[in-house]
Amino acid sequence: MTSFFSHLRLPRRLRPVAALAVAFTAAVLPASARAEQIPSFVQDGTLTICTNPTLPPMTFVKGQDVTHPEGFDIDVAQALATRWHARLSVITMDFTGLFPSLSAQRCGLVMSGIIRTPAREKSFDAVSYQDTALVVVGRKATPTLSSMDELSGKDVAVESGTSYVTRLGVVNDALIAAGKPPMIIQQYPTEEQVVQQVLIGRVFAFVSQDVELFYRMRQLRDKLHVLITPDIPDYRHFAIYIRQNPEDRTLLQNAISALDGDGTLQTFRTKWSVTDQSTKGGAAEAGTGGMFDWGAFFSALTSMAFLHGAFITLSAALISHGIAIIISVPIAIVLNSPQKSLLKVTLEGYVSLFRAAPTLLQLLFIWNAVPQFFPIFREQWFTPFLATILALSINESAYQVEINRAALSAVDLGQELGASALGLSRRDIYWRVIFPQAFRIALPPTINEFINLLKITSLASVISLQELLAVTQIQVARTFAFTEYYAAALIYYLVMVFFFLFLQKRVERRFSWSDRKKVVSNAA
Amino acid sequence: MQHEITTNSMISVRGMSKLFGKFVALDRVDFDISRGEKIVVLGPSGSGKSTLIRTLNQIEPHDSGTLIIDGKLINAKTDPIQLRCMVGMVFQNYNLFPHLSVLENCILAPMRVRRMTRMEATALARRYLEQVGIPDQADKYPIQLSGGQQQRVAIARALCMQPEVMLFDEPTAALDPEAIVGVVGIMDELAEQGITTVCVTHEMAFSRRIADRIVFMDQGKIVEITPPETFFTAPQSERAQNFLNQMLRY
Repeated sequence: MTSFFSHLRLPRRLRPVAALAVAFTAAVLPASARAEQIPSFVQDGTLTICTNPTLPPMTFVKGQDVTHPEGFDIDVAQALATRWHARLSVITMDFTGLFPSLSAQRCGLVMSGIIRTPAREKSFDAVSYQDTALVVVGRKATPTLSSMDELSGKDVAVESGTSYVTRLGVVNDALIAAGKPPMIIQQYPTEEQVVQQVLIGRVFAFVSQDVELFYRMRQLRDKLHVLITPDIPDYRHFAIYIRQNPEDRTLLQNAISALDGDGTLQTFRTKWSVTDQSTKGGAAEAGTGGMFDWGAFFSALTSMAFLHGAFITLSAALISHGIAIIISVPIAIVLNSPQKSLLKVTLEGYVSLFRAAPTLLQLLFIWNAVPQFFPIFREQWFTPFLATILALSINESAYQVEINRAALSAVDLGQELGASALGLSRRDIYWRVIFPQAFRIALPPTINEFINLLKITSLASVISLQELLAVTQIQVARTFAFTEYYAAALIYYLVMVFFFLFLQKRVERRFSWSDRKKVVSNAA
Repeated sequence: MQHEITTNSMISVRGMSKLFGKFVALDRVDFDISRGEKIVVLGPSGSGKSTLIRTLNQIEPHDSGTLIIDGKLINAKTDPIQLRCMVGMVFQNYNLFPHLSVLENCILAPMRVRRMTRMEATALARRYLEQVGIPDQADKYPIQLSGGQQQRVAIARALCMQPEVMLFDEPTAALDPEAIVGVVGIMDELAEQGITTVCVTHEMAFSRRIADRIVFMDQGKIVEITPPETFFTAPQSERAQNFLNQMLRY
């Protein structure tokens, strides 16, 4: 509040009085009546939040448009944005990507139904906005538990990257100390997969929040119930996380208090049934039956969301591989030359590095680590799509270099000799004689690499690219129609891959010159 | 040396050497070839025969000495493309372009290097394919042809650049006896047309028939340059005598 008072230009003596007066006014008047200071994480009139929209009713995709999550968190974020006269921008990504993105200043705050824990508050500032409780949930037929110790030796599912993982670790330590077998903890990247493990009977129970459970129980028509609600003091609040800044924290705390005071939060709670424990009512989706729901399958197959996801997947793969091929040809020529040079050693290093580093790590590095050193990469123009293209084209070029090198070496040395003896220029020797022959050799492994790349684009969901698999998972979180949506995604991948296999066959038919039998049979 | 240029020499070589690392492939070689002359280069394997003719069109540039072709000094600064338009070459392994048809093999360089139109180049190619006796193979791919036919295409392809000098690097070494007869027949015809020819070969009868002079090489040096009658009946050097004895034994 210090900077706020410095604007008042009062005599030093009077400042405590003024502070009291302002505090009084703030308590009495509605929030809108005051000019409110805007936190520093609201930049250029935009409040950007990072969220993982797979946790209904806090944050999830209700309709087909995966770029527009809804839920309690999103409504609260919108209310905050309105207070601060800002536009709300929502970035969706995997849960594990949320905090790295906050550090990398991709968003001003993280709101994704996240528990307030002391461990997280070591690195980030947190402001609570909703009470909650940790619950252990099992199938309807499973008897309730009287203590957490009864989970000893049982399989328990949990969303990875969440605070529940740490908390279950504490329980396990206690179990081991007491000489009992620990729980077997299975971690899944999305909440709906965690729930599904219980539904299909792979695990005994899952750990989540009561708030989410209310929603799921309605959606799944009483297939689940709470086994135990352990009393854990650290796990009672959902919090908004921001980068550490005492002033911003105070401003955010004030804004939340004001929203609570004027009933806004309560309105949202009712709207999203956050505290409503009844299992009947409103926005419930149809649960999954045992049979394959053809209607859901076809509606997924023909939805704009899937089509858009497939388009993103295809264009990311095509553009990345195109760039990779353009980069890799000159590199392969240099690496195949007999002379040693600094350039060659450098390029060898490049190829080795990017063949060795996992693609997922490269994506995460470019998206989360690089912006810490080069702020330009956290600007708006550097979209997840561009980051994916950058990471995948570099990664792919390293593999493509090896294909090109093999193809170029497979062209007989006599070809270059024969061509240069005819007086052809270097350019013509490469473009008219060597490349056409190398292309034939490189084509099958290149198409192979491309198909691989098409599937690898699904890794980019960790940096919030809305490609086909990310879309599928978000839609599954909404509908719980695992089989139908996975099948629809599979169809898209198959159609894309088969198209390129068909293309390969067509192109290979033009290489009949390489096969004596084919040439003869074509001539006949 | 200046007077050499003004004489009728097509190729003039003085003190030319070529090294591969520390290995001396050509060791201070001197010789002259007149316009229209037929030279056959003989010698044991590794004697530097192939290296010698490859320096003549600079697909292996020489390291020292002077090379003058058609009155022009050839060195690292010369545009090799101009030189190669004038000096055609046929290889032991044909080195045809497998992705191009016979006709396309023949017209590529005339179109790209001599800037002929496709029509001009095609007419020229058909004439030379006719001359080497395979006019009906023009639309086939090299893989569909026999070795002898492929070597004929290679000769036609080189002739399409209308060179003044033809270099043959063991053109019959990869062929069966029947095919050799055909290819040698074509080379005989070329010789009669008066094109300057330098040929590395092991075909003794052919050498004797067409060569104006025999260049005998050993260990990167020219051991003797003599007319074929002298070379085959009374070789001057002991090295050449040994070589001939061994050749005749097989």
